[in-house]
Amino acid sequence: MLQPKTMTRLLIVGSKEQMPSAVTELYRHHVFHITDYTDQGKEGYEGFRIGQPMEGATELSTDLIKIRSIENTFGLSPDDYFDAKKRSAHSIKETIERDLPVIEQEVSNLTAQRSAAEARIRVNEQRIAELSPFSGIPLELGLYRGYETVSVIAGKAPRDIEIPVSHEKFYAPGKSGGTMVIIFKNEDRATIDQILSEAQFRPIPVPQEDGSVRQRIDHFESEISSLKTLLNNINVQLAEIKEKNGDFLAACDEVLSADVEQAEVPLRFATTDLIFVADGWVPTHEVNNLKSGLSQATGGRILVMETEEKDDHHQPPVEYDNPSFASPTELIIDTYSRPRYDELDPTLMVSIIFPLFFGIILGDIGYGLILLAFALGLRRVLKGEGMQRLLTVLRNASISAIIFGVFYAEIFGAHPGALNIHLWDPIVSRHLLIGSHAYYQADIALLLVFSVWFGIFQITLGRCMSAVNHARHHHMTHVVGQLGWIALMWGVLAMIWSFAAIPLMPDLTGLPEVVMGLNIAGVTGAVLVVAGLIAIVRESPLELIEIPSIISNSLSYTRLAAVGLSSVAIAMVVNFIAIEMLIEPNLREITALGIVFVIFGIIVLLLGHLLNTGLGLLGGGLQSLRLQYVEFFTKFYKGGGEKYNPFGMKKKFTED
Amino acid sequence: MVDLGTAILTIEMVEASQEGMKAIAAALAVGITGLASAWAESSIGSAAVGATAENKDVFGMALLLTVIPETIVIFGLVVSLLILF
Repeated sequence: MLQPKTMTRLLIVGSKEQMPSAVTELYRHHVFHITDYTDQGKEGYEGFRIGQPMEGATELSTDLIKIRSIENTFGLSPDDYFDAKKRSAHSIKETIERDLPVIEQEVSNLTAQRSAAEARIRVNEQRIAELSPFSGIPLELGLYRGYETVSVIAGKAPRDIEIPVSHEKFYAPGKSGGTMVIIFKNEDRATIDQILSEAQFRPIPVPQEDGSVRQRIDHFESEISSLKTLLNNINVQLAEIKEKNGDFLAACDEVLSADVEQAEVPLRFATTDLIFVADGWVPTHEVNNLKSGLSQATGGRILVMETEEKDDHHQPPVEYDNPSFASPTELIIDTYSRPRYDELDPTLMVSIIFPLFFGIILGDIGYGLILLAFALGLRRVLKGEGMQRLLTVLRNASISAIIFGVFYAEIFGAHPGALNIHLWDPIVSRHLLIGSHAYYQADIALLLVFSVWFGIFQITLGRCMSAVNHARHHHMTHVVGQLGWIALMWGVLAMIWSFAAIPLMPDLTGLPEVVMGLNIAGVTGAVLVVAGLIAIVRESPLELIEIPSIISNSLSYTRLAAVGLSSVAIAMVVNFIAIEMLIEPNLREITALGIVFVIFGIIVLLLGHLLNTGLGLLGGGLQSLRLQYVEFFTKFYKGGGEKYNPFGMKKKFTED
Repeated sequence: MVDLGTAILTIEMVEASQEGMKAIAAALAVGITGLASAWAESSIGSAAVGATAENKDVFGMALLLTVIPETIVIFGLVVSLLILF
């Protein structure tokens, strides 16, 4: 629970004849995390090389690539076929031989036709673009060519140009500069060129067409539209093929990927000409199962050794070992970093504390219900394991928000507020004096101290866990150092309590004086402070700089109250604007304009509360998460564990 | 010096003025810390978006790092609440 799963290191040695059956058996069990063999000449491994892929690997890879390219054309992804029923792996392999080449042929035909059609559409569009500047000029396209004594020049000009020599000129004004066509005698070419270059004339090529411009443009456009219908047909045909064969392709993908992984695994083993050695980790409670499975599969002709030595270079991979209600939180811990093998696993604690903090911040029955509906409703829409876990965390957090909503007696920020519903007296009030019906004052000091208590407890917990972690490695100076930090914090607290009476905190000011104006609590506090300082300095003198952090870390938890209050304030202001300013005055005397205002008020109410739900989700979630990551984890968590990635695959579409 | 007239300062006026001073102080507390927090988070935020564009996996961590300076404005809010209430 507070520890990752214990792992045992296994060495599997067998002759190369046994390798295929051993590999299939390992794949089936899906528990063996392989440590890849690197050719580094480790002692005892002289003469070993990495192995060659098993035979048949190349054909399998080629088939897999074909299937992946078809999936790409269809835009398929395995998540689309979440609920398809499973087929047997054997039948898939037969069907691959038979049907895959046919499907592949059809699909590649259709894609080739599609790209050809798209290319022709582009060519036609290019031609239309060339022709369109000439649409304003009343000349047949054939008249632009074939002259002996005159030349034709066409181009874009910003405005009409005066040309002194004899010529024929046509000018069609346009938005981005008009089109100009000039027909002139060959002798005048130099003059024309000079005049045109001075007048910012940009020549454009004359299209090699015949007939009127309008006709040619219409011809190309009709070609384009017929090509587009052809494209549509092709897409419809492709969609049909996808419908028919989609789940079959997903199943094929799975079977072939499994086969390719198994065929290529010898690349991770150490081999010689005759034997192979597989080195890896298995969770301790699965070892016997795996051993018996392997000896059955290979007829006993395999050696499976449990080695005890813990190589310093090879830390075991880390797999969580948490009860089912805490496992969705593993996603949150993984986002930071996977725990190391030898340290405490904080998942259980975070799975309780994170929803708790979220509830304290959001603390509203109405918003909690909306988020709960959201979390339950999105389960069908968002697929994928990561998403499902996130939604479970959200569900827990929203239930906590509802519970704290009861605690704070808040529903959509109203109590009684503008809605004038009297629910019940809040245990701690967060309501503000906004609106004419409000009469509860917020207990600000109480809320702040309430949050700081959480901070004190969580920081103490973090330091204790750090002490435990250090004790495992017998670093006693560090253990004493952590206990010193705890002593320092509680010592400072005791001294504060002996001077000042703070709400919700024990009031130790009334005790009799002992020495130097301090009472018993003050003296104990002072002793703890001094002891703590000594322990810290013994651990590392530089740590003294961190002493103010006990104040800043504890006060950081006041965000639980502060962010929550801002959410309440927004909710009450939305209620005030929508109900007291817009709706209520217009309900007293009903006029036509009044109805408009009422509708407007309802819209403001809905949008405002929706926005506040979003802000609460984002703010509450991120701030609670940040408190875990920054104030809690930095006290004891190292992280950096290797993810447990066992050889094998969770089969979704096929079964053996 | 021009004589603009004299006025009598009553206790109610002083109290009202104090209420106004409290309100200004609370507003300044949140406003200035808000500016500081926004300035800090803006550069972290653009770096976070850049990192996510390169590698989608870091999104969670990047989002979290972006809101780390929130502490500044929360302390400002706490101070303003303590002033007001």
